[in-house]
Amino acid sequence: MILNKVLFGNMTLSKLFFMLCLIIFWIIIAKVITLYLRKNFKKKLNKDHLEIIIKVVYYLIVVITIIWSLSLMGIKLSGLLVAGGFAGIVIGFASQSIIGNLVSGIFLMIERPMKIGNAVSIDGTTGIVEDIKIISTTIRTWDGFHIRIPNDKIFTTSITNYVSNVVRRFGYTVGIRYEDDADKAISIINQIIEDEPFALKNPAPLIFVDNLGDNSVNIAVKMWSPISEWYNLKNKMLWIIKKTLEENGIEIAFPQRVLWIGDQSIKEKILQN
Amino acid sequence: MFGEFNIPINIDKDSLNISIKKNDKGFDYIRELPNDKIEKLILTENAKILINPVEPLNTPKELTSLLLIEFNKSISIQPGIRKTIFITFPIEIGIFLSKKKDFELFDVFSLSKQKFTLYGDPGVGVVCKYWKSDVFLTLPDINPLYEGFIELKIYNPGTSWINVHKALFKAEGMKIFFDDQNVCMKAKMKVTDDDTAETEFIDSPYEKDMKKAVDIFNAKKLSVSTSKTIMLEGI
Repeated sequence: MILNKVLFGNMTLSKLFFMLCLIIFWIIIAKVITLYLRKNFKKKLNKDHLEIIIKVVYYLIVVITIIWSLSLMGIKLSGLLVAGGFAGIVIGFASQSIIGNLVSGIFLMIERPMKIGNAVSIDGTTGIVEDIKIISTTIRTWDGFHIRIPNDKIFTTSITNYVSNVVRRFGYTVGIRYEDDADKAISIINQIIEDEPFALKNPAPLIFVDNLGDNSVNIAVKMWSPISEWYNLKNKMLWIIKKTLEENGIEIAFPQRVLWIGDQSIKEKILQN
Repeated sequence: MFGEFNIPINIDKDSLNISIKKNDKGFDYIRELPNDKIEKLILTENAKILINPVEPLNTPKELTSLLLIEFNKSISIQPGIRKTIFITFPIEIGIFLSKKKDFELFDVFSLSKQKFTLYGDPGVGVVCKYWKSDVFLTLPDINPLYEGFIELKIYNPGTSWINVHKALFKAEGMKIFFDDQNVCMKAKMKVTDDDTAETEFIDSPYEKDMKKAVDIFNAKKLSVSTSKTIMLEGI
């Protein structure tokens, strides 16, 4: 029989045919799995990242199938494993950080603590997320610099996402003179916030005398704004508050020191001169 | 002042001035409000403009498609009954330019007070346009340049009294009708429990002679998903 013809060693044509069938079968299975992944994770993962994951899964199945079928055919892999193991150690040490970044990248894609376009602060770097790749993430700082941060660093540090909620709060401390009427100042500030469309009605703004400072009565002003508007509003409101208070006779205090001279007669003489 | 007009035209009403004057190549468009003035150039030989009340969600910036109307006093509704009340809503005015048989939005502005709010808490809430309204049992007296009215049918199908403080509406469903005196919409609100309700606009005028305003969301070619709004964060 032609199928029993020995090709080399114990390998016959029938064994070779079986091995090929096994590999083809698992390639088909790998294709089905990749189709399933593509269909189910299309909307959950970035297209580029999904393609990388699909390729990794596909080739992993193919490589395991080939190794498995070789061992089934009686081809001893011990020599290969020793060489492979040694090479694996060398490659493992060399690519430790790459693998770490890769795994962190996959977990970041699953956890999604930030999205492309979000304003974030990562380990002291603040800016807009430009891209999240499988190995690294790119941030564009407010000054326009592009900073590449390895994903394992991002994964192990705290991430502040400034835009994950639809609104955010910001505030000021407004210091007025001790002789000014704080109630009137609070009423004026309240009206300014009420008249500003982007200062939200709810959650309500907070305006209160926060503390009695060395040089001023400090009024805390806190308001909420839609996330897309807060920065412009923050830049705009403080100056409006300052101008409106001054228009109403309330001055912003500046550092000052009142000196009392012990001997009143000397003080009167100084004043007369 | 709502309707279709030939240009040139000059409209001066309350604090609003709209002027479209002929120049060598077309028309100069000037629109003035107390704190806002814009000028545009219209390059055409001959066109018509349409002035319509539009959904109050375009100015000062289109941030949301939701309008939250807070009532100045809460309404307690007996279980199992339907009642009709009237509330007001802010008006925005759209200027449309004729485009063959159709009209295209050219300018939009508002004389009403503008304010945004959050419906829900900061973690899960949504930003909405905000308006505070009196609650009327009869047709309110309004200035159609500033505000319109909503005939709101409230239904409490439950078995306990419900207090309603506000109503949330989705812009996609707004059906605005107008005549010389009034701008109005009709809506219904079904209270599902103490904290939740469902609101929906009704596509019909308060009086049969009223004209239907141009739906700005259709004019902008935006797709309409559903006209119902579910209030899950309190009523």
